[in-house]
Amino acid sequence: MNLFLLFLSAFLVNNFVLVRFLGICPFMGVSKDVDSAFGMGVATTFVMVVAAAVTWLIETFILQPLGLPFLQTMAFILVIAALVQLVEMFIHKTSPTLYKAMGIFLPLITTNCAILGLAIMAVQNAYTFIESVVFALGAGAGFTLALVLMAGIREELRFADIPEPLLGAPIAFICAGLLSLAFSGFAGLI
Amino acid sequence: MARLWKNFVNGLWNENPTFRIMIGLCPVLAVTTKAINGIGMGLATTFVLVCSSALVSLLRKVIPDKVRIPAYIIVIATFVTIVDLFMNAYLPDLHQVLGLFIPLIVVNCIVLGRAEAFASKNSLVSSVFDGLGMGLGFTWALTVLGAVREILGSGSLFDKQFLAEGATTIGVMSLPPGAFITLGILMAFMNMIAARQKKRAS
Amino acid sequence: MVVVLSVIAMVSAAVLSVVYSKTSVIIEENAARALESSVLEVLPGTSTVNIIRRSPDELGVDDPQEMREKGQETTLIYQGVDEQGKIIGYAFVGEGNGYGGVVRVLVGVDEATDQILNVKVLNHAETPGLGSRIEEEGFRSQFVGKTVQDPIAVNQDIDSISGATISSRAVADAVRQGLRDTVELYRGGE
Repeated sequence: MNLFLLFLSAFLVNNFVLVRFLGICPFMGVSKDVDSAFGMGVATTFVMVVAAAVTWLIETFILQPLGLPFLQTMAFILVIAALVQLVEMFIHKTSPTLYKAMGIFLPLITTNCAILGLAIMAVQNAYTFIESVVFALGAGAGFTLALVLMAGIREELRFADIPEPLLGAPIAFICAGLLSLAFSGFAGLI
Repeated sequence: MARLWKNFVNGLWNENPTFRIMIGLCPVLAVTTKAINGIGMGLATTFVLVCSSALVSLLRKVIPDKVRIPAYIIVIATFVTIVDLFMNAYLPDLHQVLGLFIPLIVVNCIVLGRAEAFASKNSLVSSVFDGLGMGLGFTWALTVLGAVREILGSGSLFDKQFLAEGATTIGVMSLPPGAFITLGILMAFMNMIAARQKKRAS
Repeated sequence: MVVVLSVIAMVSAAVLSVVYSKTSVIIEENAARALESSVLEVLPGTSTVNIIRRSPDELGVDDPQEMREKGQETTLIYQGVDEQGKIIGYAFVGEGNGYGGVVRVLVGVDEATDQILNVKVLNHAETPGLGSRIEEEGFRSQFVGKTVQDPIAVNQDIDSISGATISSRAVADAVRQGLRDTVELYRGGE
């Protein structure tokens, strides 16, 4: 499939967070302010791209030839966990401030269903290596976009007069719903 | 015995994973287009939760601390794959509907979270009860959300149409925006009920 | 440390391969049965379905190399036979690249005229409410009556669903290519 369309599809039309419902936990957890949202988005995109590449290689050169489709889930998640460990160690060495700012959410990238989700989707749709990487890039960009938009909205919400029961998560979800409604406008893009 | 019951009820209400702790949210939004999908997903997750909590608890003295996360992941992934294969074989329609989200149970924060926070530090029986409570708490949350979206979005409940053919439904409820908004409103409701409970207690 | 992890991993792999070997048989059977009931839909009047396996080498088809490259070693053709034993037609599965992944269609072809009798969309991951409209009668009925002689292409003899060009094209590609390959294989033996 045309690479540009593939990117656009993952980025906007079938946005991973607002349309496919992947990556909701960090979406809700890290979207309190724009800076950390952006940092999280970039870190996640990096893991997504590398994970897509490595899982594609494992699926193509190990799992399929040896006839082990049932080990796919396990192999993929272990790869992702290892990758996140590496990223964690790297950030810890190169930028202790960023490491501290991201806190618990760095190891939690492992449980971001968007990463495992895109790895599985890429092999299910029989994408080539390049297609998988582009798909991951689009997914990561879309994830970052959704996070940053949400963070922007939530920063504004701090000054709004919200009824007690709606404070916190409920109003955030309703805003996310409106965002999702806006994104559904991209559906007829192509 | 009372302690076990408390473990169980905890996951159903006080520390309901969806409405109170707010973990494991991706499947909550994605599969709740119909009530039956919610139940299916909830029970599949409960199975994985109970089995992996049990096994982690059994092996808690054996697994070295440094490799505990990879070990938990292997255990959880094993049960997830078993559920995936079984559903594909014996419940193909449900398997088709839940699709990608069945293997995604492995990254459901509830499962890994309970293994780390509870099962690794508690006895086998306690862990099973905790897993059951959390899993069933998750299940009823999914079912309620699915029921609301199904009633409003398709005019049916458990696939039984109760609106006349061609009656107007709120289609957006079955689509992504509806999922977010319904969850937000339900959470607000839960907050109101919890606040009233607290007021009555004090 | 490593020992414990390896033991757990090996036990898990062993358990999974046992479960897999038991369930994969059933899974394949389910898929075959589902496909058979779809065949009854696209070849009306059928009471028995014969599965014919054709491989390119067997028949000396024009492009066996291409089929092998595409990974198609044997093609399954579903032949519909009615109660009197008369052959109604044959059906095949075609695949096209859609928006959200692969679109699979089942196409029923008339025995006597090699005209398409019916097209059924088996699986797709297209956008609900938009690309998913390829399932509608109005879209699919365009393919009825077509033969290998027809272009079967969007903007030529097939109208796409507005706003869902890619999904429509996926179906057209699947039908056209599948028809060409299958008629050649089916008739090639005579």
